[in-house]
Amino acid sequence: MTDFKKIEDKLKTETKRLLESGEVTVVLAYGKGFDESHPMPYAAKTIADVENMVFNEYCNYNMARYLVRYPQGTKIAIAVKAADSRAVIQLIQEEKVKRENLVILGIPVQGMKNPKTGEIIDSKTTCGMYNPVLFDMLLGEEVHGAKSASPYEVLSQYEEMDKDARWEFWEKELDKCIRCYACRKACPMCYCDPCFIDQSKPKWADKAPQSPGNMMYHLTRFHHLAGRCIDCGECSRACPVDIPLYLFHKKVAKECEEMFNQKAGMSIEDKPVLVDFRVEDSDKILD
Amino acid sequence: MLKKIAIENISQLASELMEKGNLIAPVKEASGHNFAQISDPQRVDLNYYNTLMSPKSAFFPHKEDFVQYKVGKPLSEAEPTVLNLKPAFLFGVRPCDVKSFEIMDIHFNAAGIIDPYWRARREAATIFGYAYDLSLPVDSADFYNTLGIYAADPEGSDIFMVKKEKELLLKSITPKGEKLLAALSVLADASSADEKYFEEYIKKGKEYKTRYTEVDSEVIAKKLESVFDNTDFWTKVSTACLSCGICTFVCPNCYCFDICDDTLFGKGIRSRVWDACMFTDFTLEASGHNPRTQVYQRLRQKILHKYSYHIRKYGVISCVGCGRCTRQCPVNIDIYSIIEAAMKVK
Repeated sequence: MTDFKKIEDKLKTETKRLLESGEVTVVLAYGKGFDESHPMPYAAKTIADVENMVFNEYCNYNMARYLVRYPQGTKIAIAVKAADSRAVIQLIQEEKVKRENLVILGIPVQGMKNPKTGEIIDSKTTCGMYNPVLFDMLLGEEVHGAKSASPYEVLSQYEEMDKDARWEFWEKELDKCIRCYACRKACPMCYCDPCFIDQSKPKWADKAPQSPGNMMYHLTRFHHLAGRCIDCGECSRACPVDIPLYLFHKKVAKECEEMFNQKAGMSIEDKPVLVDFRVEDSDKILD
Repeated sequence: MLKKIAIENISQLASELMEKGNLIAPVKEASGHNFAQISDPQRVDLNYYNTLMSPKSAFFPHKEDFVQYKVGKPLSEAEPTVLNLKPAFLFGVRPCDVKSFEIMDIHFNAAGIIDPYWRARREAATIFGYAYDLSLPVDSADFYNTLGIYAADPEGSDIFMVKKEKELLLKSITPKGEKLLAALSVLADASSADEKYFEEYIKKGKEYKTRYTEVDSEVIAKKLESVFDNTDFWTKVSTACLSCGICTFVCPNCYCFDICDDTLFGKGIRSRVWDACMFTDFTLEASGHNPRTQVYQRLRQKILHKYSYHIRKYGVISCVGCGRCTRQCPVNIDIYSIIEAAMKVK
């Protein structure tokens, strides 16, 4: 199993080194929260900040979400787990950040937990990978030989439903939405400014937490993330009313993978599938 | 007056209350407990720590329709919403949440404009306060002691309830509560041992400690004003903040709203919908200018509104320490820690 303490120590040492040498101006990682099971996303900017850093099984946050907050050109070091590294790659593909401005601190990790439920989330709400895809250095030992469930395994029940049942399912689930927009705010790929739902001319949906506005918001967001979602599960964990948003994202990701033979955020050489055109692209959607 | 009922028979009490009016009580939902208008008495469930959403929506719904109209037609044809004024019973409210109503009254029922919707609902309601279960550990996010509220504080409730093993003891606090309690036939009279238990419980409630820090509202207001310009401080405490609206929506004391006109095919509805100072478009002006474009500015606004401006304007802190904002925050931002940190800034 993952030695969290060792990773934390390495994270602190590297942060200190990177800040001292001036290689980066900020290190995006994890810091202490109000108690041990509640760590927080953290930005270390000075040596004094290092002592507040932490890494444990509740550090689920995808720090890639914070990259776009810094002006282009800022030298940033970022701690990434497997899915988070895919988000960084996706952001590089989409030209939101440049590879040369990043120092990527990879964290291979197994056994991350949802702080609300305590359950292990490795493949249920995340992409099921243990090792970061892209990194400049690793803060722990790569996980080899561990059985990793398919990230799409949780879809089996969902896929058994027919069209009508799925519509009913989402109507019921999205009816719970209180429109706090935590899902889009926690999402590393939701960086539109302004988000369509905040526009008033035209106003795409009403503000009230009910259908059809809820549907409009979520279905649009789901589709904006087609071929881009890297399955970190942050949207679902951020949701205060536990809407299983990951089901839709995983389903779309699976279909994209089948149709275009490409997974989001796996290589900085790739182009997002819905931006790229290839002659051999699937025509399945036209059938 | 002290009465009692076995907790397993709580649905009978619920049924009797439903005959007398609308019952709003906690029900178990997939993500936790929430207050809901009860249609099936079996659904009332007292097995909760505190609800996910605050009970403010009983008086101040997330969306409230004011008037329906047709575009281009005279005003006289508009149809204002008529309030359903049946008596309401707000059942199982924790002491910190009961306190929040009093603070909300300042905005909707006392200073300046009286809000007829809030007032009508508030007057129609009888509040059944419910002490925290002192045998269970306190949630690490709670800090209502800091705001001078205790786990078994009957103040503000019409009827206050405590759990005694498998029974629920109900004591009337106000004349309104006494009248209702006397009229509820499913309740049994309590014994003198129950009386003693109830009194002891209230006392023991003071020993049930949440996080606590000494706050003098004047001192805190002044301190926060002095750190207002300390951008480094606010940037630091808001590093993690996603600027979503969870904290304000679950807060029993956040009362900001937006007036929305939604028209479709010539038919319109004007309604009031909760808004949140954490949203970017909250302060977006018609000119396109936005005075609060940064996350730190919005978080600072939220905290200063509660712990500074509100004190200056109305003399009280607009927070009851229920801990919901901290518990529900996806990135564990903790208002208590921020206040503590602000007090330490030199």
